[in-house]
Amino acid sequence: MLRRVVLQTFRQGLAQSFFKRNAASLSESAVTQHPIETSEEASEKSGSKQKNGDESGNTVVVAPPEFRFMYPEFLPDPTMERRNKLKEKLERMDMLQRRSIIEIPEFYTGSIMAVTVADSNSPNKFARFVGICIQRGGSGLQAWFILRNVVDRQGVEILYEMYCPLIQKIEVLRLERRLDESLLYLRDALPEYSTFPFEMEAERRLNNSVVPINPIKVKLRPRPWLERWERQNLQGVEDLNLPQRYYDRAKEVAKPWEKYDLMLQYRKTIPAEEQEKIYAEVHSQLQQQDLKRKIKRRRGPSSEQ
Amino acid sequence: MPNSAGHVKFVMPPIGSIGSGLASYRDLTRTLTDEKSTLYSALSAIVYMLQSLNRSPFLLGFLSNHEQVRNMSRVKRRNTHPGYWLSLKNVQKKDDKISADNLRFMREVIQDKYKNKSPLKVSELQIEKTEWDPKTKRSGVIARNIGRQQMWDKDGNKIVCTVLHVLDNHVIRYIPPEEYVKTSRGAIHFKNKTPLGCLVVGAEATNPEKFTRQYCNLFAEVGLMPKKTLSRFIITPNAALPPCTPITAGHFLVGQAVDVYGKTVDHGFQGVVKRWGFKGGPASHGATKFHRRGGTIGTGRDKARVWPGTKMPGHMGSERRYNRGLMIMRINMKYNVIYVKGTVPGATNSIVRIFDTLLPLRKFKEAPPHPTYFPPEDGTQKEEDIWDSRLHVFGSPSISV
Repeated sequence: MLRRVVLQTFRQGLAQSFFKRNAASLSESAVTQHPIETSEEASEKSGSKQKNGDESGNTVVVAPPEFRFMYPEFLPDPTMERRNKLKEKLERMDMLQRRSIIEIPEFYTGSIMAVTVADSNSPNKFARFVGICIQRGGSGLQAWFILRNVVDRQGVEILYEMYCPLIQKIEVLRLERRLDESLLYLRDALPEYSTFPFEMEAERRLNNSVVPINPIKVKLRPRPWLERWERQNLQGVEDLNLPQRYYDRAKEVAKPWEKYDLMLQYRKTIPAEEQEKIYAEVHSQLQQQDLKRKIKRRRGPSSEQ
Repeated sequence: MPNSAGHVKFVMPPIGSIGSGLASYRDLTRTLTDEKSTLYSALSAIVYMLQSLNRSPFLLGFLSNHEQVRNMSRVKRRNTHPGYWLSLKNVQKKDDKISADNLRFMREVIQDKYKNKSPLKVSELQIEKTEWDPKTKRSGVIARNIGRQQMWDKDGNKIVCTVLHVLDNHVIRYIPPEEYVKTSRGAIHFKNKTPLGCLVVGAEATNPEKFTRQYCNLFAEVGLMPKKTLSRFIITPNAALPPCTPITAGHFLVGQAVDVYGKTVDHGFQGVVKRWGFKGGPASHGATKFHRRGGTIGTGRDKARVWPGTKMPGHMGSERRYNRGLMIMRINMKYNVIYVKGTVPGATNSIVRIFDTLLPLRKFKEAPPHPTYFPPEDGTQKEEDIWDSRLHVFGSPSISV
């Protein structure tokens, strides 16, 4: 049975995560919250199965809810024909192994990142690329993201596979998100919106608890464009100033019923119960790795010298 | 478009030699030194002489060296009928109205029956110690294809592997060669060959309620719960195993080549473009209702009918296939999982059978775990996760080129 938590939309989830963003105290609060919730729920529905608590009444570790935004690649591909729990579990173990070697930080589309890759063809044997993340996808070890930058007036996009062992370092120079999930329209935008200096340094965040949303509205170049942006309901683009017939045709072609199609959304997502189980499994290891890195960073300058 | 009929090709002597009779014969003898049998070469010599002297079609018809070149579109490619080794199942939904009490009683009986009869432990099995030789055929294994996972090698190249989960395989019975040859299947298999033994292996233990008493008894003799899948593996007698022997992922070695047998993905009724790779017609430029059709199906002159085997739309997939020579890149002993490089016939979560490869250049040179792998008695396991030396292990430092 789907719990009411399942069908929360992305934006609700965002809001939730923004309210509960304090990472250090979060897991504790989650752990203490849940036993209370489950006992309440148990009293409401007498016959329902208690998934989050043991019969003995032990508290079960539950990952903080924003893990599904910080680590979306841990969730498997929702296509039912290809799902197998054992394979997903083994893949997650491999992912955690890789994460113990390299830090794959939290990032979103719209964040500016720098990736250092081992490259036999470059003079230093390492190639560093700075760019804005315009899209991310894939699940498991196939997770990827695309960085875009404009180099010598030439737009360049590079797709990086997050778990590829050639990657030496992934840094997030500016952690923020935009109004859209996919920034592919930057290809048709003025080049200044995709240009970021390679010498850019990592910016320190003032408020650690909230990932800021950059409400910038990008100006597009005059048509022709690569895609029909007027049909995509983009929030981060300035008024397209197209003739009315484009918008009329967009209306004809639109599928407004899709936002009411529950089964469509269900098929595209992993149910909340499974998500909780998955993140509960990886939660402790990820936290440990995070802690170790923090300690190393604090000790870093003193220990290296 | 289907090609014209498979035609008969004449192997002609070089054109220059036809003029000078003697020179041509010398050429012919030179070319014929490669032939294996002297009789054949003598005959062909006569044939070539005749060809060079007189290329009358009447003489060519009977004595010529015909090399039949069959067009592969004419060769029967598919057989989706169930194998003749499978017996017809009469699956009818039973309308036994069993009361809830009786159902509960049935379950208690099953519990009692199987509680005391546990499968024999490895230490209790009587396994004969036999020698391995290169001609040994070991047992295979029943596995489930659980998906694909990518890994990287030490140069940073991506390797896509299919993950195969070796199910709970147990040997059900061994049929020695003399007995197996007498069965209908064995007789066909070993018609003009030396007979080999047959090992019946089962996998996926399930609830006995689902099966008939006769089927459950097959396993009950051995002390096992009934298995969903059964398979026969043809083995040499020295690789025989006693009933109730478990076969695990350790049966294989990392770096060896295996053949995987399965039923390909069922695509259903498909058109000619997907099924046979036809190009179809132009998408535009005035093409009227001709975008994914086959086009012509015959010439109109040759034989004046549609030839059997003409490529047309129809059922595609669900065929029995072997993918041979796949290399094992990684074995996880704890979860009984094998990572095999490449792809395997069938969809995810389908059952496949894994055998040691029969490709001659990829066979074993040294003894594998023979007759199968047995974990050491004192509990000291081999490593849990065994990787091929070429693979980059995820817990090791990043690759620097």
